Amino acid sequence: MLFSSITFLFLFLPVVLAVYYIVPPKAKNVVLLISSLFFYAWGEPVYVALLLLSVLFNYFCGLDIGARKDDPRRAKLSVIFAITGNLLILGFFKYHGFLMETVSAVFREDIPYRQLALPVGISFYTLQCISYVLDVYWKKAEAHKNFLCFAVYVSMFPKLIAGPVVRYIDIQGQLRRRRLSMGRIGQGSMYFIMGLAKKILIADTAGVVFEDVAATAAGNLSILTAWIGVISFAFQIYFDFSGYSDMATGLARMFGFEFRKNFDYPYTSKSVTEFWRRWHISLGTWFREYVYIPLGGNQCPVSRNIFNLMVVWALTGMWHGAAWNYIAWGVYYGVILIMEKYVWGAFMENLPKAIQHVYTGVVVLVGWVFFFSPSLGYAMRYLLAMVGAGAGLTDSKGVFILITHWLLYLLALAGSSPRGIRLINGAIGAFRSRAAQLTVGAVIFIGMFLISVAFLVTDGSDPFLYFRF
Amino acid sequence: MRTDGISVARVMKYIALAAVIAFVVLLMLYASGSNRPFEEVSEAVAESLDTEDLTEQNSSGFKRNFGLNPADYAGVMYYSSESNILAHEVLLIRVRGEGQIRQVTEAIERRVESRKNDFEGFVPEEVQLLEEAVLSVRGSYIFLAVSPEADRYLGAFRDSL
Repeated sequence: MLFSSITFLFLFLPVVLAVYYIVPPKAKNVVLLISSLFFYAWGEPVYVALLLLSVLFNYFCGLDIGARKDDPRRAKLSVIFAITGNLLILGFFKYHGFLMETVSAVFREDIPYRQLALPVGISFYTLQCISYVLDVYWKKAEAHKNFLCFAVYVSMFPKLIAGPVVRYIDIQGQLRRRRLSMGRIGQGSMYFIMGLAKKILIADTAGVVFEDVAATAAGNLSILTAWIGVISFAFQIYFDFSGYSDMATGLARMFGFEFRKNFDYPYTSKSVTEFWRRWHISLGTWFREYVYIPLGGNQCPVSRNIFNLMVVWALTGMWHGAAWNYIAWGVYYGVILIMEKYVWGAFMENLPKAIQHVYTGVVVLVGWVFFFSPSLGYAMRYLLAMVGAGAGLTDSKGVFILITHWLLYLLALAGSSPRGIRLINGAIGAFRSRAAQLTVGAVIFIGMFLISVAFLVTDGSDPFLYFRF
Repeated sequence: MRTDGISVARVMKYIALAAVIAFVVLLMLYASGSNRPFEEVSEAVAESLDTEDLTEQNSSGFKRNFGLNPADYAGVMYYSSESNILAHEVLLIRVRGEGQIRQVTEAIERRVESRKNDFEGFVPEEVQLLEEAVLSVRGSYIFLAVSPEADRYLGAFRDSL
């Protein structure tokens, strides 16, 4: 089920929220678990079983690791077993097709193999399960004895399908006890509406422009149209994913949970390093805590640190998708971040801010070309079109898009920086009385909600881009 | 929880992993698709069809009935009955990506509902066939059969993967 669907907005959410608030505290986790499984089963009826089996596997692994905490060797074996089990499940569903395609390509032979659909959300819930068993192993957290609480942690619907990657240690207390109030429902609703508007009004519209540009052969794109295409994709993916994260955070707050911020205006960054501190923060944190630091982090010789960074970024690329372009995308960022750290980072800091922004923007946009391309060959052709190897400087298509979509880009630019929120806060703060401020705030957010629903009813909504990961 | 030095959790984690493996095996047997080329699969399905009853439709027929553009997919094979009093049809589509699966299945559901309305109170046995329409999603392949022979066609589709 999509957050941005009429069924979710007007049926699932109101019913679940009402039942959740009516039932006594002890039954709230039951409501949350049942509703989460129903939510997942709506689109993935078969894979609910896999989700539940993964929960069971990690629950017992956690208990086993916890029971062996006085025997480090056995605890280590147990955690290796748990991580291997999780990676095998994820690897099978996500990478076996890619592996077979690669083997077929290497041996120039069409090897027949069976294909299975990727279970939605498996990349996210597997990372969360690994964080749990490792935190128990490192004694940062106690193994959860209550199966219900643990099942809610893995499967709660606000974050089940596309994150954020919530670490167990961040919400273990909330799984047992959490604060509920009408105020939190209000705050959560504001987050949710903001995310819905980002998704429906900006991401989906930018996606239409991007699809239009991508439908043209890369060699036939003018410089203008090629840049419009990649900029549209940059806005699409940012507003799609940060919109989803806002909705997830808002929903979590309505149900009494607090999630950490997942995006912090990444397009305002002055370096690529900063960009990755602001983009998909929960994933970056996961790779830092559970891969980079255990590998030795930066507390090691330079050569080892470079190796650690390359491992982390190759894995980040692979996590996003089973295709060479994603691996190239990860390696590309690994190289850029190493260069920023050891070669040109200090030099860049002394340049005018405008140049730092342009540098970061160009590097990120080139990265998005690798990300959206169906193959490395297409990515190279698209990049060449961006520097003039396509159909000249401008064409009627590019000019037409600019004339018809200038408002979209204006909104996207405002929404990519804190200015967008400041404008809304300014409009609310322009009134002195509390009642007037509340009224204006309500008008703005209800207005955004109604416009989003109008778009939803007339055009529908595209699935979130990160569902495919 | 510990009995004779072996904790229940330790045993249960092996059982849970074994259950995951068993589940995956079942999925591979009964729900998986394959990477076989569309031409091979469509040929095998077409051979099983009763062509006295079903006629192959061109792109515009598919577009008109399902509201989908055949060029968007890796392959489309569509047979339907020429008779106005028969709802029989067989559709095989190979999608380019998983994102298209929902789009296609929703279009199929709309088509089946619309056909039910067409035949309602007119040819009840065809409405019954539409009620029993076979829809199967196996990997990147989506198969629909509305026919008294739907199960046989489905078998041919499964065998072709």
